[in-house]
Amino acid sequence: MNTVKRVQEPAIEAAGLGKSFKTPVVAQGRFAGVRSLFAREYRVKEAVKGIGFTVEKGEFVGYIGPNGAGKSTTIKMLAGILHPSEGQVKLAGIDPHAERARCASGIGVVFGQRSQLWWDLPVKDSYDILARMYGVSDADKDRRLDQFAKLLDLNEFWDTPVRKLSLGQRMRADIAAAMLHDPELLFLDEPTIGLDVNAKRNIRGFLKTLNEEFGKTILLTTHDMDDIEQLCRRVMVIGGGRLTYDGTVEGLRREIGLPTEIKVTYRDGCTVPGERQGTAQSAALGTVGGASLPLRIVARGKHTLTVEVNRQETRTMDVLRELGSWGEIDDVEMREPEFEEVIRRIYG
Amino acid sequence: MISFRASSFTGNIRLYRVLAAKAYARNIQYRGSHLLHNFASAIFGYLYACIWIGLGRDHSLGEYGMLGMMHYITFTQASLWVSSFTTNGLGIPQSVRTGQIALDLMRPVHLFAHLAAKEAGQVAYQFLYKSIPVYLIMLLALGLTPAENGRTLPIALLALAGAAYVSLCLNYLIGISSLWTTESSWLYWGNQAMMNLLAGFFIPLQWLPLWLQHIAWASPYPFMLYAPTQLYLGKGEAVLLLGTLAWCAVLTLLCLLATRLLRHKVEVQGG
Amino acid sequence: MTEIANNRTSRLRAVRSYIKLYRLLIRTSIRSRMQYRFNFALGSILAALIQLSEFLMVAIVLAKFGSVQGWSVHEVGYLFAVMTFSKTIYRTFGDEVHHLERYLVEGELDQLLTKPLPVLLTLMPRSFRVMFGEVIQGGAIMIWALGAMLGSGQVTWWAIPQTVFAVLTGAVVLFAIGLATATCGFWTTRISMLQNMTEDAAQTAARYPLTLYPNWMGVLLLTAIPVGLVNYLPALYILRGELGIWVFPLLAAAACLVLLFALRFWAFGISRYQSTGS
Repeated sequence: MNTVKRVQEPAIEAAGLGKSFKTPVVAQGRFAGVRSLFAREYRVKEAVKGIGFTVEKGEFVGYIGPNGAGKSTTIKMLAGILHPSEGQVKLAGIDPHAERARCASGIGVVFGQRSQLWWDLPVKDSYDILARMYGVSDADKDRRLDQFAKLLDLNEFWDTPVRKLSLGQRMRADIAAAMLHDPELLFLDEPTIGLDVNAKRNIRGFLKTLNEEFGKTILLTTHDMDDIEQLCRRVMVIGGGRLTYDGTVEGLRREIGLPTEIKVTYRDGCTVPGERQGTAQSAALGTVGGASLPLRIVARGKHTLTVEVNRQETRTMDVLRELGSWGEIDDVEMREPEFEEVIRRIYG
Repeated sequence: MISFRASSFTGNIRLYRVLAAKAYARNIQYRGSHLLHNFASAIFGYLYACIWIGLGRDHSLGEYGMLGMMHYITFTQASLWVSSFTTNGLGIPQSVRTGQIALDLMRPVHLFAHLAAKEAGQVAYQFLYKSIPVYLIMLLALGLTPAENGRTLPIALLALAGAAYVSLCLNYLIGISSLWTTESSWLYWGNQAMMNLLAGFFIPLQWLPLWLQHIAWASPYPFMLYAPTQLYLGKGEAVLLLGTLAWCAVLTLLCLLATRLLRHKVEVQGG
Repeated sequence: MTEIANNRTSRLRAVRSYIKLYRLLIRTSIRSRMQYRFNFALGSILAALIQLSEFLMVAIVLAKFGSVQGWSVHEVGYLFAVMTFSKTIYRTFGDEVHHLERYLVEGELDQLLTKPLPVLLTLMPRSFRVMFGEVIQGGAIMIWALGAMLGSGQVTWWAIPQTVFAVLTGAVVLFAIGLATATCGFWTTRISMLQNMTEDAAQTAARYPLTLYPNWMGVLLLTAIPVGLVNYLPALYILRGELGIWVFPLLAAAACLVLLFALRFWAFGISRYQSTGS
């Protein structure tokens, strides 16, 4: 008997989401143009299929995948822009398709490639209009904008028409616009695309604050792995329209099984088992035949040895013990695989 | 003074051919939907013809007569696609907005020659896939056969080719103005309005009030529709072609001068 | 009972806040246009000139032939001015509806779907067009035409409120035609060619009395693409005393009907919206 009623609905609940597009087939050959007026052939393309996940309130989730894998399609279905061909979405318990307008007040959406601001008007005028649109009171609007202006440095271009903003400025202005009505849930589609290092840092800092201090739930797509590493605890990977991974960033790294690099400095050189004495300098690199563990030597200096181990197969302590038996260890350095490298493996 | 050397021009002939061919090929992909444009365009022409037919029921239509006015409208409506529906500002306004203009000016080809070659391909396409179909549809819908049994078509087409070049030059000048004002699209529409009024698109020029006729003949507009149409109807003298030629020369010079101004502006202000 | 009352007050509040939103938009649009005074003046002057040249095309025909189908120069001028005013009102508020193609091609419609208002109400305030050129031209022709007819005693001062009524219902009709045409874009994406026929050609045709055209075309312009309701039908009563006073309720009913139909069609089109690509 479960009498405890759930206090909080999850921020996002997606089940069996799928979307297929019908695109006309371009006719070829003679009079193709005329023929296509009368008879059109269609090709059905499944952009997304069987996507299901739950995001709890306060989570910061990264959504990654190669171009054309279906990231934007998913985001658009979640935000109520596209009707799913199959499956269901619930945002805080509300269906964004059945009750689009009601749901819209609770979410903020930012498309990195497009602006929701008024092209010809100064930035601040766009906020005035948006505040009216979402029914935000003047006091709330001023208080929030004051906050955002500090965090995002909006003051420098407050009176500039949007069309004259740089890309970084425009993106900051756009994110503030999406947060003006204080939504609990924020969707960001490639918010750092094309930005320089400073602008990226600024935006990441703001998103972190939103998530950690204000408890906002955030889902973002990106191609920039620094975004994921610095912001997200959880990452979802989509490939070919299907969800291929959903879990922690570390878990993803582990699952791919990229080797960890361990660089050991020995006090007075070392002896690698199975290697003849005196040929240390020119010793062959590669798998160590005589070792009791699967190790690969990738570099060797006079006093140093760099090996690769797969931490899923081998415990680090065991590796250090083995390495210690080859000579007296002075120092150990460990390097986790680069996240970029992890992603290259997934996309590849 | 004007950096437009004959040698570089002939050396680039092949490039211009490629530019024109690409513009033509880009359009041909859409010829299916463009067929519908022709339908819309022919409806417009039919509408204008209906107005003259309606007027002709109560009034005599002067030296043209009802049949003559039907021929007149048929020819101007088909000619619009060549001498009026030129790309807005030859695409310069857009290129200014995106900053592409600086790149275009860096190329080793003169901007005017480059854009003119591209537009030539566009116009050639519009002539084949729009003017001719519209002309044929209008002939069918109004039950006409070509005026003067088509004997006048060659000279009329020659005049029309000149008209296309004049329109290209005007649009180049409009495009360049977009560097100084955000309202250059109004100039484009203004140009269209002058085409309607001063080029004799709907009303033959000799029916305009005298003061307006004077204004018209002081501008290039009569040579863009009215002159070709007069030649087509067998009412004009071949000497009209000289007027077309003169305007082609004057406008070419203006375009080259405008390019110098543009270059200066972009170099000083960075676009 | 209280729930119904609550619903009504909340809806009333929503309407009031939407009107406030629109007023804000109008203020900011005018202000930002005024910042670029040279561009604004140039745009307005050119717009007025274009409008004037359009009227000259009609005026020259009339000057040459005296009258069209028994309609005097002033009567045809009146037809022209009413159409200009109705179109100006439609395009002042509904310019973005007319430019829906841009939203469809560039995927800008996605943004609008994330707003807590019906899409149409989000789309319209995307821009507010200040059309002084058209107002000046329409006003000048209207004053000239009505002034002459008032002077000759052809119409009384009653014609003025009646004309205002016709202009307003006409604006609704033009908006509905524009909306229905734009809705086709949800299937075809490109709509400029269709607009050529349903908006540009039709409005051009209605500058002359419809009796000028073949019968089938006249009927078409009063039913399928009812631009004749904007100026021709009201002018028959206001200027020439034909038909009867019932023209006005008829106009109001017809305007509501076409608007309702267009809105239904629009709602259906939105439900078929397929965003762009991935």
